[in-house]
Amino acid sequence: MDGTLGLLGGIHGGADGGGGGDGGGVPSCGSILTNSKEDDTMNDQDMLAEVSSSYPVDDDLELGLGLRIGGGGSNAIQEGSRILRPNSCSSSSSSSSVNITNSSIAGFKKSAIDSVSPPNAASVVGWPPIRRAHRMPILANRIKSERKEYSSRAKSYLSVKVNMDGTLIGRKVDLNAHNSYETLARTLENMFYGRLSNTETIGRSRLLSGTSEFVLTYEDKDGDCMLVGDVPWQMFVSSVKRLRILRSPKSRNCI
Amino acid sequence: MVYSLPEEVLEHVFSFITLDKDRNAVSLVCKSWYEIERWCRRRIFVGNCYAVSPSIMTRRFPEVRSVELKGKPHFADFNLVPEGWGGFACPWISEMSRAYPWLEEIRLKRMVVTDESLELISTSFKNFKVLVLSSCEGFSTDGLAAIAANCRNLRKLDLRESEVMDLSGHWLSHFPNTCTSLESLNIACLGSEVSFSALERLVGRSPNLKILRLNRAVPLEKLSTLLCRAPQLVELGTGAYSSGIRSDVYSSLSKAFLGCKELKGLSGFWDVDPSYLLAFYSVCSRLTSLNLSYATIRSPDITKVISQCPNLQRLWVLDHVEDSGLNAVALSCKDLRELRVFPSDPYIADANVTLTEQGLVSVSEGCPKLQSVLYFCRQMSNSALITIARNRPNLICFRLCVIEPRAPDYLTLEPLDVGFGAIVEHCKELRRLSLSGLLTDRVFEYIGRHAKRLEMLSIAFAGNSDLGLHHVLSGCDGLRKLEIRDCPFGDKALLANVAKLETMRSLWMSSCAVSYGACKFLSQKMPMLNVEVIDENGSLDSRFDSCPVEKLYIYRTVAGPRSDMPGYIRTIDRDRVNTIS
Repeated sequence: MDGTLGLLGGIHGGADGGGGGDGGGVPSCGSILTNSKEDDTMNDQDMLAEVSSSYPVDDDLELGLGLRIGGGGSNAIQEGSRILRPNSCSSSSSSSSVNITNSSIAGFKKSAIDSVSPPNAASVVGWPPIRRAHRMPILANRIKSERKEYSSRAKSYLSVKVNMDGTLIGRKVDLNAHNSYETLARTLENMFYGRLSNTETIGRSRLLSGTSEFVLTYEDKDGDCMLVGDVPWQMFVSSVKRLRILRSPKSRNCI
Repeated sequence: MVYSLPEEVLEHVFSFITLDKDRNAVSLVCKSWYEIERWCRRRIFVGNCYAVSPSIMTRRFPEVRSVELKGKPHFADFNLVPEGWGGFACPWISEMSRAYPWLEEIRLKRMVVTDESLELISTSFKNFKVLVLSSCEGFSTDGLAAIAANCRNLRKLDLRESEVMDLSGHWLSHFPNTCTSLESLNIACLGSEVSFSALERLVGRSPNLKILRLNRAVPLEKLSTLLCRAPQLVELGTGAYSSGIRSDVYSSLSKAFLGCKELKGLSGFWDVDPSYLLAFYSVCSRLTSLNLSYATIRSPDITKVISQCPNLQRLWVLDHVEDSGLNAVALSCKDLRELRVFPSDPYIADANVTLTEQGLVSVSEGCPKLQSVLYFCRQMSNSALITIARNRPNLICFRLCVIEPRAPDYLTLEPLDVGFGAIVEHCKELRRLSLSGLLTDRVFEYIGRHAKRLEMLSIAFAGNSDLGLHHVLSGCDGLRKLEIRDCPFGDKALLANVAKLETMRSLWMSSCAVSYGACKFLSQKMPMLNVEVIDENGSLDSRFDSCPVEKLYIYRTVAGPRSDMPGYIRTIDRDRVNTIS
């Protein structure tokens, strides 16, 4: 055998594969792989763009490349063929599993994948090389962190309606923007300025101190009309459904 | 005058020779030794089920008791081998059921096994004892029910990481009440619940049960029940390891673990609730094997556990262990032989986990017996690799995966050639190596020069030219398995090292630059090789010689080309080649 690898000249056999790294001419069949060979530092993304363009855009694609051959029944949903989409995260994790390994899907449905995972390591089939059994923690982690994100996002904006006696048009206030009754009361006073009092309040809000002709109440989870200020702030936030500013003498007649 | 020992004596002597390598050598001495040896060989290992045919095996070795087969190439684990590729166990099982009525053990890895085959196994072998299905697929719990029902003397049923169609959890109830021989049961891969009462009864009537690996569906509350029934367990895989905060569960679990005086290995730990970790503290000092690779607990909790395990020899853990946890390993686990660190989320660019090359360096410093490493991390440097190599010249298996393909040394931005070079230079007994990161042809030069004992090499996104592959093929004398993906290796190196391919078990190349024409040439030149071209993209018939092949699998065989391939795989048939050209 030619120990020098034929680098000094032609090699027997004559099969010229288009040059491993020689950067030779592009073979005539235009296969997707030739492009990636010409420049081995080429971005995986470019390779994927090539791959996706040569595949039919099909829903079947999602079920995996190899499924049309062999495999039957329930085995056909090859684990390696599902995509993890953002909205599928909340479904049970035990039966579905992550596939961030089908390069053609990744290339084509990049937007779906990108929102879940970044390019490069995630867009390459079978990389990083992790056996199926060890991909479960990854999925579990992903679901955990996305749930956390989702629920923390949900908590970040909690708005309740505020209605004031004698005013037709109600307002809305974001309770999560406050962390005490004081700030809430001030905000409400600002919202309904002019009706609550004709003078600027200094010091403690008059709504809370009971010196105003109005009183601040809320409707809780049970539908009862309660005076604002009795319970700790957090507990209040977790049970309040809406706020009402009522005229003092009528405060007993909620509804 | 030639002396000749009587057959019985020779047979007795041969019975002490167990390694296949030695057995093969014995059979080559002379014709009579060949004959005696083949009649008394009891174990067969076939590393590639297509390298030989079932009938060839049964013809030569008529009295076999244990067969181990491997099917798909290793890269099938990472979805690189398309569906339907092959690895069908059926023809083997059929032939064995005909030829080996006294067969006791079958071990299959990465093969497709059907329920019919399982049923055949269960009814054909009266003395069947051991069934191991590792990373197999194609069967359901119905097949398992047949095994359970019919194998009277079953000792081991191990389904490690197989993909099983879960039709019903009641297959376990098919173990007859008279079955008391079970020693090892691994059902960790099963997705759905098995009948717990059947499981409990089975465990209760199996006094020799040493290994029990449950699946995730077995709730923590029930674990103590099982442990109390089987205090003799040596290895336990838990189910889900959380249960809300229940002190009664905790205390009974704790007590149950206390009763397991023989327990040396723990695994499972899905959905771990850290507050239950203390429950098995009593076992920690005895633990030699701990698999926390499904446990998404954080470093402080992991560290707490590990520091209690001074006798640990094998540790599998997620990267949540972080460098700090690995420092603790280096301090506490002086007997550590094997470390595997898996990534908890390799797909995000910046993980929330401080696991760097430092962790591995610490362990290499602190654990003098470390020989096997599998390590996923996000950054690596040549200096770290050199340090590791100098610290641990006794490494036998070194698999490093820097998650980003082609990632350079993060300190110098150079390729990791020198680092891996140091590994192969210092670790003279290295048998298995997986490369990653930015690598040029230089690393292959080092490997070809130093890695003389290397048997398996995995390469991805590496090298510049055919010279790289040539270094490996011409230099690594002991190379048996070579798997390559996404490297710019073409025809030249292959064609220059054709003879080498016959000394290896197999070569896998995908997304490289090997041409169809080169495959044809190889196939013509080497009749003892099957050159299989995989092309899911288009028709293999219309391939020009200059077209690169998508995936290529070359393996030596005495069985000729196989006939069970799907349409997108073709063995380059020598005869066909002649007629075409």
